[in-house]
Amino acid sequence: MSTVPIEPLLHHSPLRHTSLNGARTFLPSSLNLRCHFTSKKLHSIGRSVASGNSLGFLSSERRRSIAIRASSSDTAVVETTSQSDDVIFQENFPVQRIDKAEGKIYVRLKQVKENDWELSVGCSLPGKWILHWGVSYVGDTGSEWDQPPEDMRPPGSLAIKDYAIETPLEKLSEGDSFHEVTINLNLESSVAALNFVLKDEESGAWYQHKGRDFKVPLLDDVPDDGNLIGAKKGFGALGKLSNIVVNPDEPGADVQEKGKSSSGSTKEGKGLEEFYEEMPISKHVAGDNSVSVTARKCPETSKNIVSIETDLPGDVTVHWGVCKNGNKKWEIPAEPHPEETSLFKNKALRTRLQRKDDGNGSSGIFSLDGELEGLCFVLKLNENTWLNNRGEDFYVPFLTSAALPVESGAAQVSGKTPKTNQEVSDSGFTAEIITEIRNLAIDISSHKNQKTNVKEVQENILQEIEKLAAEAYSIFRSTTPAFTPESDLESEDEKPEIKISSGTGSGFEILCQGFNWESHKSGRWYQELQEKADELASLGFTVLWLPPPTESVSPEGYMPKDLYNLNSRYGTIDELKETVKRFHKVGIKVLGDAVLNHRCAHFKNSNGVWNLFGGRLNWDDRAVVADDPHFQGRGNKSSGDNFHAAPNIDHSQDFVRKDIKEWLCWMREEVGYDGWRLDFVRGFWGGYVKDYMDASKPYFAVGEYWDSLSYTYGEMDYNQDAHRQRIVDWINATSGAAGAFDVTTKGILHAALQKCEYWRLSDPKGKPPGVVGWWPSRAVTFIENHDTGSTQGHWRFPGGKEMQGYAYILTHPGTPAVFFDHIYSDYRSEIASLLSLRNRQKLHCRSEVNIVKSERDVYAAIIDEKVAMKIGPGHYEPPSGSQNWSVAVEGRDYKVWETS
Amino acid sequence: MEVSVIGNPQTKIYRTELTYRELGFRFGSQAISGESRNRVSFLTHQSSKWKEIKIQSSPRSVRCEAIVSDQAPFLKPTPNSRSLEGVKLFVGLPLDTVSDCNNVNHLKAITAGLKALKLLGVEGIELPIFWGVVEKESPGKYEWSGYLAVAEIVKKVGLKLHASLSFHGSKNPEISLPDWVAKIGEAEGGIYFTDRYGKQYKDCLSFAVDDVPVLDGKTPMEVYGGFCESFKSAFSDYMGNTITGITLGLGPDGELRYPSHQDGTNLSGAGEFQCYDKHMLSALKHYAESTGNPLWGLGGPHDAPAYDQQPHSTPFFSDGGSWESQYGDFFLTWYSSLLTSHADRVLSVASSAFKGTGVSLCGKLPLLHQWNKLRSQPSELTAGFYSSGGHDRYEAIAEIFAKNSCRMIIPGMDLSDEHQSPASLSSPESLLAHIKTSCKRQGVVVSGQNSAASVPGGFERIVENLKDESVGVDLFTYQRMGAVFFSPEHFHAFTVFVRNMNQFELSSYDHAVEGDKVKTMSIGSGTTGAASLQTA
Repeated sequence: MSTVPIEPLLHHSPLRHTSLNGARTFLPSSLNLRCHFTSKKLHSIGRSVASGNSLGFLSSERRRSIAIRASSSDTAVVETTSQSDDVIFQENFPVQRIDKAEGKIYVRLKQVKENDWELSVGCSLPGKWILHWGVSYVGDTGSEWDQPPEDMRPPGSLAIKDYAIETPLEKLSEGDSFHEVTINLNLESSVAALNFVLKDEESGAWYQHKGRDFKVPLLDDVPDDGNLIGAKKGFGALGKLSNIVVNPDEPGADVQEKGKSSSGSTKEGKGLEEFYEEMPISKHVAGDNSVSVTARKCPETSKNIVSIETDLPGDVTVHWGVCKNGNKKWEIPAEPHPEETSLFKNKALRTRLQRKDDGNGSSGIFSLDGELEGLCFVLKLNENTWLNNRGEDFYVPFLTSAALPVESGAAQVSGKTPKTNQEVSDSGFTAEIITEIRNLAIDISSHKNQKTNVKEVQENILQEIEKLAAEAYSIFRSTTPAFTPESDLESEDEKPEIKISSGTGSGFEILCQGFNWESHKSGRWYQELQEKADELASLGFTVLWLPPPTESVSPEGYMPKDLYNLNSRYGTIDELKETVKRFHKVGIKVLGDAVLNHRCAHFKNSNGVWNLFGGRLNWDDRAVVADDPHFQGRGNKSSGDNFHAAPNIDHSQDFVRKDIKEWLCWMREEVGYDGWRLDFVRGFWGGYVKDYMDASKPYFAVGEYWDSLSYTYGEMDYNQDAHRQRIVDWINATSGAAGAFDVTTKGILHAALQKCEYWRLSDPKGKPPGVVGWWPSRAVTFIENHDTGSTQGHWRFPGGKEMQGYAYILTHPGTPAVFFDHIYSDYRSEIASLLSLRNRQKLHCRSEVNIVKSERDVYAAIIDEKVAMKIGPGHYEPPSGSQNWSVAVEGRDYKVWETS
Repeated sequence: MEVSVIGNPQTKIYRTELTYRELGFRFGSQAISGESRNRVSFLTHQSSKWKEIKIQSSPRSVRCEAIVSDQAPFLKPTPNSRSLEGVKLFVGLPLDTVSDCNNVNHLKAITAGLKALKLLGVEGIELPIFWGVVEKESPGKYEWSGYLAVAEIVKKVGLKLHASLSFHGSKNPEISLPDWVAKIGEAEGGIYFTDRYGKQYKDCLSFAVDDVPVLDGKTPMEVYGGFCESFKSAFSDYMGNTITGITLGLGPDGELRYPSHQDGTNLSGAGEFQCYDKHMLSALKHYAESTGNPLWGLGGPHDAPAYDQQPHSTPFFSDGGSWESQYGDFFLTWYSSLLTSHADRVLSVASSAFKGTGVSLCGKLPLLHQWNKLRSQPSELTAGFYSSGGHDRYEAIAEIFAKNSCRMIIPGMDLSDEHQSPASLSSPESLLAHIKTSCKRQGVVVSGQNSAASVPGGFERIVENLKDESVGVDLFTYQRMGAVFFSPEHFHAFTVFVRNMNQFELSSYDHAVEGDKVKTMSIGSGTTGAASLQTA
């Protein structure tokens, strides 16, 4: 009937000054505009668009979600451009060229005596090779791995969660590029088969066998999925082995079975045969080259002269186009074209660069019309090899002669040519973004795609700001020695009143881990736990961590499948809700164990690989990271470490993040969870976690960032700063929206207590040596959990010394977590006394700790000047001065006092 | 009609605002009323508008837009508050931006940080320039290269620059006065402020030597003048375009005051008088003799408390104590006159040096809010702020600033009374208001700064201060860039603050909307609402 007259609305919008949604929107564009424009029109566009909150994309949650993408910006730009006045663009782009190195992998099974066998895996290419392996036990079905028994693990092995072991390959001899690892097998164990893949730590590439794990059967009846090696099946399988390309885009590898040089002699013992097999392997070796681009404005002809130089060997062809009218669409410039140029499908030009005289690389000069806005190009090395700029076309902007280039890709948005270009600001740096905004403004009046454009610009600016601030932060931080201690970092937090933040809760939280590795067995864990609610509340816990609630391939819940199916081995969804309600009634907040790193698939893809999901979140293989060859994901490379037993979720995909956020919010709403314990957060970037926390607004959240401490010759290093720095970096990436388990403190307590080396408990600055010494409010201290202890015992706290551990974490800053098994053990009354002391004395996550003694056999500290503690057999008594100390709790090798 | 509206995002945007408006209205009428006059008027205004929209909103979106656009802006500035759009925001660079070997420290971080600030909409940057760095080696030999490099970066990024010429030293980071000055200080003695224990304050020259040729035959004022001239010529390319303001260091930490509180002394005390260097003492003696009380010129007050003593632990500052006596008036008048004349000297030197360059001159005052609920206001007295007969202690200073067309920087705009310890009898808010009034009376333009350490609720307090229209503060410098500044928690708070500065808003009103919005969302009306408009 009528069209909507947008224009007058924008012109006279009265919303300009309103604060209607100011608290949630973040509007740098309008801030900028204030500096550069007086155009009311623009301003109001900024406002109106920002008010488009129906989609929520500009809400403050969103603002935070557009977080920092790890890379740092190239600040050198500022200096380089100042060298010459007519240079309008100069940058050196690093490019990676991939070369192929060829070699072989061999697998040898050898009998040593009777039931003792040896499996050797070797590789002839140089590299930092790691054997990533696990076993299948007799009776196992499915393709999952288990960890091998302790005695099978060669020295130097590292347990990766509870599914696999990583063992480095050792050089056979100095100067030789052969690497090998040998595993001793005992046929009396119940190991049915050995599974492995090879990993090159240098390139992060995985080498597997026909798209699968290598599998060495030790029994006859191991099901053949076509990936067996050696033994009887191996012979027969030879013919159907094929060349599996892992991922042609990545520096991955092909392994192809060519043949094998030996056949084993049949032996007794479960019919196992010796064998030796070789497979050719090729490894992609990255060559680092660079492309340097300089653009000049020729003052006489007002042409843009672009020179492209590179040290790439061989023929290099520039495949290019020019940009007009503010968009990055490739167009063909008017003739004349440079020498050696051909037209490609009317879309682009191809110019071969001239070899340099010295033979090292090539270069070319492009003279382009002064009115053009930019030059886009990619490089072509040969038919199949193209090089671009980290996934994007190279782009050389000419637009604003005074402008410095904005980070490539930072703010390139399509739009119309600005009709009023004379107003371009004298300041270099932001000119481009401002131009974009101006373009958009013009665009909007013709209302055409404006929403996406404005959104993009907004996001780009926000992203840029956060990226820059993060960069500034990291440098400033690193110029101060080590980490900025919390006292500086959080001085604003030192208000007396309680401030709730998802990283800390109230600051006075005490966690109870409400399950162990066996809890699923009864099938009615939720109900059993419910009955303990009053008891746990009276002990003084404020937060309860429940096991992962989703349908899971493994009964413990850590292999989730359908995230919306909350019927698990722990009970039904209704029982879960009831349990949460019950705990809320006694004043305990409840954390859900959210497994976000990986998810088990419902279906196989056409190659027979399990990577398609079902249920409400029926993602396809785009939701799976690309760099784990097990699962042939089509997503991006993982932003963290991979967990190899299940497809790792690619959190860089917008649809994945959207779904996860929705799911978390649903769990908050539906189940009533107050917060999260986040499983295996090493697997993906902390910035995503921040995004999720912002969306789900938990009361408390803690992530499991578990990796190994540093050891030298089997002896734990005194200085574990690198270890805690990694955890702190993760917390930082979440912007402090989640805390992290203080693995460092647990590790150091192990060494200190086990070997009577209590001096370890003070760092060189006299602070606690774990995360708790650097960022106490985000450190969740613990001594045991379902993985480290319980029936798994991957990294058990020194036996008999648990109470010393609790005396430490329950008196110190950080948020302590107590393991379920310990509450229901002989330690119960002692733990109860410590809990009640902590609550009575109001110790909290930021309490001040003053280490008064850290010697060989005793560690003592005074916390907040009202609690004193010592652990270790040595002697310590708190000073008998003005304060009147009385013993609060006492036990084997520990003692805690309080002031009365 | 449907076709033209569907798929047009503008419509949706518009719709969202409708929702907000409704919510705001509902909340406004109950919760906010009575908070302050302007808020109420704001909401009333808005609510009437909402009604109109509501009536019109369904079938003809065209109509309602017409109504919207005919309206006057929602926010009518009311007498006591104003929009902050006119306030320019500056951020201070780290004190050690340029090292004493003229290197730019953390160059990369600063560059990245400046870009971030530029994108945020910050107007400019304050750069502390230290005498001890530039004229380090020998008198008259200036080395500007480090600071010039910073100015170039600032210019490139497109920010304005505010240079603070600092004639003082700093403890943290450690930046001392020029080496050659320190040497003279060693050899000669008496050029630094000195307390009654004979302890020298080596980070600033005594006010008493201003016009005494103690520096290789030159007076400090001549040396400062040379410094200013050299700065002017070295930065001539930037003057008036990139550099828009220059702050003159007037005393310890750049502030116009005596170093009555020194590092390591307890701030809980009132501070001590610093009149014991030989030049001070001889000036005092001279003054005493000229006023006919030679016995009063032998030293400072004998009954003033020590640094860490409570002000009223000795008679000087107590009610009816020495400070109110004839002697007290004699001493304090003299003591404060030196402060005033020092300010006058430095500002005159600078205003003649920078005349015609188009930059504005500033000087910074301290906010001596401790103990200012005591009648004697001892912190101000030891720092040199006094006026005989109970007159305005800041009047004379403001007059000097006015005479030299100099802006006054007042720090501590982030401090609020409620966060002060009751025992310190401190009221930063009322002191700030007092100084602002004095400035207004003299026609001095006020710029703001925050205090050095971050304080709870600081940003909110700053915004409140800037909104106060009785004295228009049109420039605020936030101190200071560094690791803490860019830490995720702080930087986020800062961006919120910047946004608040640029979009004037009433926080409680805003919360109300937010709270209600959540409710709406849970009912799920957000998107369906938009849909219904489309199909209407």
